[in-house]
Amino acid sequence: MSRVPPWQLAHLSLYRRLMVWLLCPLAVLVAIMLVQAWIASREAADRAFDRLLDAASLSIAEQVRWQQSRLWMDLPASALEMLATDAQERVFYALYDAEGHYVTGNRLLPELPSEDDKRMRYGDVGSQGMALRLGILRSRLEGWDRSDRFEVRVAQTREGRTALANQLFVDSLANILLIAGLAVSVVLLSARFALEPLTRLRRAIRQRNPRTLAPLELSLPLELAELRQALNELLARMRRVRANQERFIGDASHQLRTPLAGLSARAELALRQSDPEIWRGALVTMHDTATQTARLAGQLLSLTRLNNPEATPARQPVDLVDLAQRCVRQAYTRYHRRGVDLGAEVVEHPVIVSATDWQLEEALNNLIENASLYGAGQVTVRVAEAPTRLMVEDDGPGIPESHRLLMLRPFHRGQETGAGTGLGLAIVDSIARAHDIRLTLQDAFPSPTQRPGLCIVLTFPDAT
Amino acid sequence: MVWLACLIACLWPLAAQADRLDFAAEGGSPQPLVIYGVLDAPQMRPLLEAFHRQAPDLTIEYHNLDTMALHERVLDERAAPRADVIMSPAMPWQYQLANAGLSAPVDSPVAAAWPRWARWRQELFGITFEPVVMVYRRDLATHMRPPESHADLLELLSRYPQALRGRITTYDPRRSGAGYTYAIEDAGISARYWELVEALGNSRSKLETTTSAMLEGLSDGRYWIGYNLIGSYAQAYVAEHPELVMVVPRDYALVLQRLAMVMRDAPHPAAARRFLDYLLSEPAQRLLATATPLGAVHPAIEGTGTAAALRERLGDAIRPVEIGPGLLATLDRLKRRTLLQQWRQAFAGDAAPPVTPAAEPFPLDNSEETAAP
Repeated sequence: MSRVPPWQLAHLSLYRRLMVWLLCPLAVLVAIMLVQAWIASREAADRAFDRLLDAASLSIAEQVRWQQSRLWMDLPASALEMLATDAQERVFYALYDAEGHYVTGNRLLPELPSEDDKRMRYGDVGSQGMALRLGILRSRLEGWDRSDRFEVRVAQTREGRTALANQLFVDSLANILLIAGLAVSVVLLSARFALEPLTRLRRAIRQRNPRTLAPLELSLPLELAELRQALNELLARMRRVRANQERFIGDASHQLRTPLAGLSARAELALRQSDPEIWRGALVTMHDTATQTARLAGQLLSLTRLNNPEATPARQPVDLVDLAQRCVRQAYTRYHRRGVDLGAEVVEHPVIVSATDWQLEEALNNLIENASLYGAGQVTVRVAEAPTRLMVEDDGPGIPESHRLLMLRPFHRGQETGAGTGLGLAIVDSIARAHDIRLTLQDAFPSPTQRPGLCIVLTFPDAT
Repeated sequence: MVWLACLIACLWPLAAQADRLDFAAEGGSPQPLVIYGVLDAPQMRPLLEAFHRQAPDLTIEYHNLDTMALHERVLDERAAPRADVIMSPAMPWQYQLANAGLSAPVDSPVAAAWPRWARWRQELFGITFEPVVMVYRRDLATHMRPPESHADLLELLSRYPQALRGRITTYDPRRSGAGYTYAIEDAGISARYWELVEALGNSRSKLETTTSAMLEGLSDGRYWIGYNLIGSYAQAYVAEHPELVMVVPRDYALVLQRLAMVMRDAPHPAAARRFLDYLLSEPAQRLLATATPLGAVHPAIEGTGTAAALRERLGDAIRPVEIGPGLLATLDRLKRRTLLQQWRQAFAGDAAPPVTPAAEPFPLDNSEETAAP
């Protein structure tokens, strides 16, 4: 995410990316075509000029005969002249007999490797610092008495071939460049054309009112329609989140307003009296209400903090046994005074999980308090293994199975009586979700009708 | 090889005495320039003098050789040439050297503008224009209509075989390189050449090896008609001998060119290119046309002694020996034997002494063979 190495294409615009991916292969293609055209023009020139070698050697071979007990030849000047084109090549010829002995000529010309029974062979040879194209014609005497084999070798320098090859190459170069130019302009145009809907989408997004979360209505090609779909889904989620937030804020205000209104009414009522005893009674009530309200505010704050996606507190190894014992120890006296029997049943050895210490502690405290608030006389904290679990069991009235999921929503109370804020389980749920902990509500005892009770289980994910 | 060179030296027309011309540089840091040529000092001197005036910083050394000696020397020195420029009228031999890669290209604008027909590859340049001519005695006209073409000559020979018996002279192609070159060119132009050779044989024509020998015989009165003489020499000679008339054949006239080239490994390439540029320049060509019997090639020069004038007079009849690979065929030793055999048969052998052509008077077709591995 942070720094993109320069050779990566991720930072390139779509247009540039298209250009790179279209024009680079195009350039390679053009290069291949050029090389191919170069080779083809050389071959074409060689083919054209090899015909001259062919004709000249044939014309010479026609003049070869047996005379004065040896190979004889009346060299036709025209045969040599046809080898010299406008490029005025240097011309060489030689006659060799069957044994490869030089008979006549104006230069010793090398042999070419013989390939099957071809009448005419061609090759590029160097001779005294000159690059020559050599043609060798194998033939035999036509006569009644002799049919000796002989070879006519003719060679010419390459000026004419080079000139023709260059000309052919320049011609195809012009064609290739024309085609390449057309292809480039088509690529440019089509890339622009293909990216046009993207521009429209960008404009549509940019022109929106930043406060609207209404879905995008825009006709787009298939690929971008998917993007629009995803965008609209995101917008829908944001709409839901905002609705939730608004409801939460509304609920929270409502929850805070009620005790504040009660405080206000109680104070007003007390002020009308002059009896300090009544004042005292009012103050005690007001103190209770204020304490509850303060707890409510504290829980709201911690719920907000827990729901803040930006905050990801560091995790460290936490011993669940130690945690359970610590919480029970700290709260024991307080609950004991209220007549709640608080206890812990833990395994003998430490059970380590990776978690945020204070969050787990808060979740456990909330669960204990929740149990005691809803009428439990006995609350037991358990730590079990395989899978690692933290359980809080009470003997309160329990929650019917159909209501259990609703209990996790903020401000939803199992029963309207009692001093709960309706946030405890919501906070536990938030903490559980932040830790990938599975939160389940189940009956504490097998037969709830005879013996009610609720057991809340926090199942930790496997350490792996 | 030396004896061969000597032999050829005797065979080539007007065997020139090996002489040389030297021009010392004026001023400091002289640049040497070595030229091998086949042109006698009297004709070469005005050219070189004019060039030296233009390029006084050069020390010029001109060697006048005979054609085969020049060729031999160039081949001997091919590994480390001494000459910068070589000029010779032996066209096939010069072409063979250039074809083998012994010449260097000259890329000056003058060279590029040189007529296509008088150059090969910017390497070999025909700098003169010398027709092959017939010469007859002025008093021939009292007996018969003097020949103006090859056909005329053939007709005269068939009409007056007795009168002309022993009175005609021409080159012996078996003993003379020039004669051989003309024979092969003549044979290539018209099949009737062989009729002419037959007629020449029938009338017991005398065979010579040099133009000057033929001219002397004509002047003496031994011969009445000379066939295939080198125009440049004949013109100079006829000018001093009013009893002789030179005629450029009307039907076709072979034209030889002196071919000049810069050696590939010339020791002084810059000076060589300057000299070649000079040879192709208008002043030098004008000098060739006026001060020497050699014809000028430069298209801008008109008047007697120029290619343009000869073309105007004879039109399509002008047949310059083409500077091209056809010349190589001329030098093929089997080709030579074939042609000479045919020639001898046509000539019917009896008039000429039974000459076996000197074993290999043209050792050059093998030069590659001996030089290669």
